[in-house]
Amino acid sequence: MKQNFLKTMLTLVCFATFSAFQAQTTVTGTVTDTNGPIPGVNIQVQGTSTGTQTDFNGGYTIENVEGNATLIFSYVGYTKQEITVDNRSTIDVTLQEDAQALETVVVVGYGTQRKSDVTGSVSQVSNEQITELPVTNVEQSLAGKAAGVNVSSNSGRPGGNTNIRIRGNNSINAGNGPLYVVDGVIGAGPINYLNPNDIESLEVLKDASATAIYGARGANGVIIISTKRGGKGEGRVSYEAFTSVGRLTRKLDVLDAKGFLQTELNSYNNAQKYDPVGFSEGKYENPLTFRNNSQLFDSEGNPLYDTDWQEEATRTAITQSHNLSFTGGNSDQSYGLFLNYTNQEGIILESSLKRYSARFVMDNQVKDWLKVGGSITFNHVEENRVDGGQGGLTPLRMMIETLPIVPVTYPDGTYGTNANYPNMEGGENPVNLLRNKTNLIKTQTFLGNVYADFDLAEGLKLRSSIGTNIVNTQDNFYSGRTLRQQSADYEGEASVANTRENYWQFENYLTYKKEFNENHSIEALGGLSWQQYDYAYSYAGARGFSDDFYEYRNLGVGSNPLTPDSDTQKWALNSYFGRFNYNLMSKYLFTVTGRLDGSSRFGQANKRAFFPSAAFAWRVSEEDFLKDNKTISNLKFRTSYGETGNTEIGVYQSLASLSTSVAILGGQRAPGVGIGTLANPDLKWEKTAQFDAGVEFDMFNKRIGIEADVYYKKTTDLLLQAPVPSSSGYTSIYKNVGSLENKGLEISLNTTNIQTEDFMWTTSFNISLNKNEILALGEADDDIFPGPFFLSNTNILRVGESVGSFYGLIREGTWGSDEAAEAAQYNLLPGDIKHTDVNGDGEINSADRVIIGNGNADGFGALFNTFTYKNFDLTLDLQFSFGNDILNLSRHSGEDRTGQANSYATVLNGWTPDNQDTNIAQNRPSKAYYTTTIDSRMVEDGSFIRGRNLIVGYNFGGDILEKYNLSRLRVYASLQNFFLSTDYTGYDPEVSTYDDSFSQGISFFDYPKSESLTLGVNLTF
Amino acid sequence: MKMLYNKSLLIVLVFALFGLNGCKDFLEEDNESNFTQDNYFKTPEHAESILNSMYEGLRFVSDGAGTYGESPFMMLEFPTGTANTEVGQSIYNRNYRNLTANADDNYVNVWWTQSFESIANANLAIARIPEIEMNDSDKKRYIGEAKFMRAFHYFNLVRIFGEVPLLLEPVDANSELLYPQRSPVADVYAAIVQDLKDAEGAGLPFSDDTGRVAEGAVKSLLASVYLTMAGYPLQAGDEYYAMAADKAKEVIDNGAYYLFDDYDLLHDRDVKNTGEFIFQNNYSTGASITNPVTQLLLPRALGISQFSDEIGSIFPTREFINAHEEGDKRLEEQEFYYTQYPSIDDPNTIVEFPGIYIYKFFDEDAVLLSAQSDLNWTFLRYAEVLLTYAEAGLEAYGATPEVLSAVNAIRERADLAPYGSEITAQDIWKERFYELSFENKYWFDMARRRQVLNTETGNWEDFVGHQFTYGPTLTEKYLLFPVPQREIDNNTILTQNPGW
Repeated sequence: MKQNFLKTMLTLVCFATFSAFQAQTTVTGTVTDTNGPIPGVNIQVQGTSTGTQTDFNGGYTIENVEGNATLIFSYVGYTKQEITVDNRSTIDVTLQEDAQALETVVVVGYGTQRKSDVTGSVSQVSNEQITELPVTNVEQSLAGKAAGVNVSSNSGRPGGNTNIRIRGNNSINAGNGPLYVVDGVIGAGPINYLNPNDIESLEVLKDASATAIYGARGANGVIIISTKRGGKGEGRVSYEAFTSVGRLTRKLDVLDAKGFLQTELNSYNNAQKYDPVGFSEGKYENPLTFRNNSQLFDSEGNPLYDTDWQEEATRTAITQSHNLSFTGGNSDQSYGLFLNYTNQEGIILESSLKRYSARFVMDNQVKDWLKVGGSITFNHVEENRVDGGQGGLTPLRMMIETLPIVPVTYPDGTYGTNANYPNMEGGENPVNLLRNKTNLIKTQTFLGNVYADFDLAEGLKLRSSIGTNIVNTQDNFYSGRTLRQQSADYEGEASVANTRENYWQFENYLTYKKEFNENHSIEALGGLSWQQYDYAYSYAGARGFSDDFYEYRNLGVGSNPLTPDSDTQKWALNSYFGRFNYNLMSKYLFTVTGRLDGSSRFGQANKRAFFPSAAFAWRVSEEDFLKDNKTISNLKFRTSYGETGNTEIGVYQSLASLSTSVAILGGQRAPGVGIGTLANPDLKWEKTAQFDAGVEFDMFNKRIGIEADVYYKKTTDLLLQAPVPSSSGYTSIYKNVGSLENKGLEISLNTTNIQTEDFMWTTSFNISLNKNEILALGEADDDIFPGPFFLSNTNILRVGESVGSFYGLIREGTWGSDEAAEAAQYNLLPGDIKHTDVNGDGEINSADRVIIGNGNADGFGALFNTFTYKNFDLTLDLQFSFGNDILNLSRHSGEDRTGQANSYATVLNGWTPDNQDTNIAQNRPSKAYYTTTIDSRMVEDGSFIRGRNLIVGYNFGGDILEKYNLSRLRVYASLQNFFLSTDYTGYDPEVSTYDDSFSQGISFFDYPKSESLTLGVNLTF
Repeated sequence: MKMLYNKSLLIVLVFALFGLNGCKDFLEEDNESNFTQDNYFKTPEHAESILNSMYEGLRFVSDGAGTYGESPFMMLEFPTGTANTEVGQSIYNRNYRNLTANADDNYVNVWWTQSFESIANANLAIARIPEIEMNDSDKKRYIGEAKFMRAFHYFNLVRIFGEVPLLLEPVDANSELLYPQRSPVADVYAAIVQDLKDAEGAGLPFSDDTGRVAEGAVKSLLASVYLTMAGYPLQAGDEYYAMAADKAKEVIDNGAYYLFDDYDLLHDRDVKNTGEFIFQNNYSTGASITNPVTQLLLPRALGISQFSDEIGSIFPTREFINAHEEGDKRLEEQEFYYTQYPSIDDPNTIVEFPGIYIYKFFDEDAVLLSAQSDLNWTFLRYAEVLLTYAEAGLEAYGATPEVLSAVNAIRERADLAPYGSEITAQDIWKERFYELSFENKYWFDMARRRQVLNTETGNWEDFVGHQFTYGPTLTEKYLLFPVPQREIDNNTILTQNPGW
């Protein structure tokens, strides 16, 4: 055994050759169905580990077979056959399609259903689809896979920053992200740390019929993740690995040394025009006088350096991921052990994410009436995050704004910085920042769920399960002693923040299935659930370090301790749920679902709420007039209506909590307690009512499949952090006011375009359209500004408009020389930016703001094409989005001003008397007045088509597999993010650098995405 | 099989029972990290803590309020026409400097919301401290402090915004006062005076070097209130000059406060809350609660300090400087202003500034060593009490020796010749203008007198129609600041000030 294990390990490492076993009989043959040969059929010698698969011609050869052995032929969608060898050397088999087994089984809340019996709108994503793209993050692997699910990968940083919306935004304050249910654990997370390779299938529940079983937490859609379970039969070892190399291919156009110096000179030459008083007082120095600094210039005044900071701050990033699994079992029990190691480098220096995960699953039929099992997952993730401190002088910003005339390091080893040159804002060199600032976030996640199934009577089962999700996060931060504008003023700053989240659930439910006769069958479910979550946080920090050596590892040596902090939170849910399915003649399907939820978060009077739904489906293709139709193989209409809720607001909002603060008296800290929350004892649930109508339509023996849905959702009793007059001392109260709607259309199309013996071409296309409108906001329908705030409120919620609307002035261009008099009315000069005076009051100010864009897409989708030729396969994955705008805030510092840091190259197109047809202001030193505000110049069309993935794979055939005793060997190469077609001028139109609910598309120096090449291998034996 | 049934039934029963029992308290919510209003106000420490929250509530005035070198105190300096800024992107400062502000401006919102938050805390304290079981004299003292705080904020609000909602009791979600109307200015002043009178009789010590409210602060503020009531918009009558003068005299006669000999002590970290300082915003670097003002006022990016960023938010116009009398010591280098400083990298190199900058709030330790300032920000200092006494006393009693000695104490410190009986009201106004510059006094003085100094002619002229040296002209609208648009949006019965 030990030897065997060692051998196994050896194989893993270097694919060492197995010695073949002694043959007794060799069996060959062909496996076919009514259409011809079937490749990939599993053939197993019963009771042994020997097995093989058919090749592309349906042929197989199997050695070492005892003359009296039994061969088991199995293939998904076909009835399994067992054939005794009887000393034959040739066995040809014809497999029969199994109508039952051919049916896809989908996971729904608290159970599974055959796809044909589902009355709700559920999209299934299989393990194959998830791991098709070798990503390290589950959320990103979902992109494009399901209609109605908009996945925005908003950052290139390892670990990502992914924004998922199912059928639009339903809420304003209570969160818009979907509910994740992982192996039955409701609300499991953090989901982006889950190993995508562990996932067996992923179901997206979209309509109310599907989500109502999760009642209070289901309004934003539910994503059910089922992880891989153990095997049946012989033990299997599987190893899957990939390594990828990524780099920054899309650089932004910034000023080089020559351009920067020219712009600086232009600016100086215009200083007198924009600040005559300051100019006469000598506030502006001729920059030519700075160019005798021998550190930066040669004797002629030419710059010594021309640094490409985007090049210097990035790297070729290497990622590797290894998955090793062991599965096995027998008819009564199965086990699985799944191990993962992933090390992902970010393309920005120093950024990285490492994940170690282990998962163990077991299912065991202990007695004929009792089955127990469970899964336990442990994850350890270490992420070094470099894009913290959004809005400030982050490395991502400084790689655009650091002067090209400054080097990364001077010959003596010291870092170059903007402060080395006069008049510059003192942001730090990005390389220095990346190397001397650390934000190491360590997260340990424990996710476990154990169950016991009791067979109580024919068709009656009780499941009792306990699940838990524990997340410990340690956020370690250190910013070095010399980093200007970060921590130099404090001589270093370090902190450690610990968060412990503890969630448990206890659920019990009965299911009852009965077929009365061939026309009537029912399935009923009823259960109860308790869920509780508690949270504890603690923080310690210090400033004033004598050496960078300590970082965050010895806070005690900091001379100036920061105020420590701790906090606790808790919430609980108690629920009763039920579902009843009635199947009439396999043609008419009825589903009724209900959940009664009680949540601690709501006011005393409104703790509980009931969420019902009903659905009906008509399988037209089962009707006599279509039953034997050769063209139409499946036609189903379904419709549903129901209500779901949203509880995701902060805790204690119905209580009049007091808040704490710190005053200084007598030079000492004097802790204060004052007003905090404006209590709302009437706080209640936010509800979303949804109507859905869908059709599933398959033709030509499923060569063409279409699924389409239309939906209308209306959310009422919106949980709004409604502003109140601040004369009360408070600024807002959580209230149930307002409503909004989403309506949309989703179409998925799957076709098998060509299918011959050797060649197959399949296409999968989906598109989703969603339109959002705010219907009411509070008593007075006042605008709400949900943030982020940057220069002004960037984002507005206004009745009649969609959420995610950008708000600002309209930039018409620049004032021309012939408009001097008009410009003067606004205190401006020709060469200044010209905004529209919308209300015509003779002033340009915030009263002239209008809606200038929207970050949400009108539509999005994906197109997959897969070609298979013999053992080769090729997949092309294209994704698109249209109608989404970007609010590129980086133009504020990168374009609206000059002479304070480096700028985008667009400033070279600044206004001059000879170049008046421009929307870039005339260059001038930033000390002189200039205009900068949220305006339409920052809004860009973010529509795009992305070549997300191109994969070429090769599955080794029978000979090789046999030779090395393998059951599967696949190698592949993949090119990710290989093209991007968009008018957007920033790094990537899938972007958001803020965490606010409606910040999609709002960017201020984002983490760029890489183009990467991946090589991978999948091996099973 | 039968046994199996029994077993299963038992299991189901257990769950059902657990279901019934468990859920009663399961959904009760209990905040374990913070008190609620229901379980607070039980011990004397609770009274002290809510007072502390009001001391914290003063800090916004001199803390930063925007990304671009903005701080709420600057809102009251730029519309005087005597200040300039080097921060190109500072929209709020530029709007007030150029008189192009509007009601969406963040400054007014900060003043409004922060002041009312402290008022709400004071209302809660005044309503709930009486129910605490504690020593009566302590109780009275705490309530006195809270009333001072309430008056302090209402005095700012009524001068900045004019009519404001007058809320003197706690507000909750069902309270009618959640949507209050604006109260007449006279009612607001009446409440301020009543609160300050109550605070006067609350048994507070006359001075307090920890920074708590003392009787001297109450009287100084009340003197200021009376002086303002005598002027616009209330014009409550000449007797208010006498009341102002008398109240200021009580502070002068007590002797607890005095003028510093040396202007340097005005920005010395060792004399906080003592001597000339009557009421201050307290900071402490040790507690990492620091004052940004020194850094905000440094000339922009000249490399004279340890601060990574030298901001240049506000500095006086040349005309303001030129309007001073010949020989005024306050204009000498490193008294109230400065024009040069050694380079931080090379102390032998003197950096000449392209202008004149404020030195009054210069924290030398922070600039040269720590880049952390905990200089206090001063709300009331003895020089103001003397000048209030002089201004009110001259109106009420004429140029008495006491009046002359009050104003001349200020002048003598500035090496200027003392005034005799020929002194005019305008002379005292000018003295206030020089002495209390950039201390959030001048705009209030302009508004209550409706007179502004023309820094070029040296004459006082009407507020409305006064043209700043760099162009913009004050209109009637600038006698008040706008009610924040956000507040009007949320409480539609509020009206906007004229012209806004």
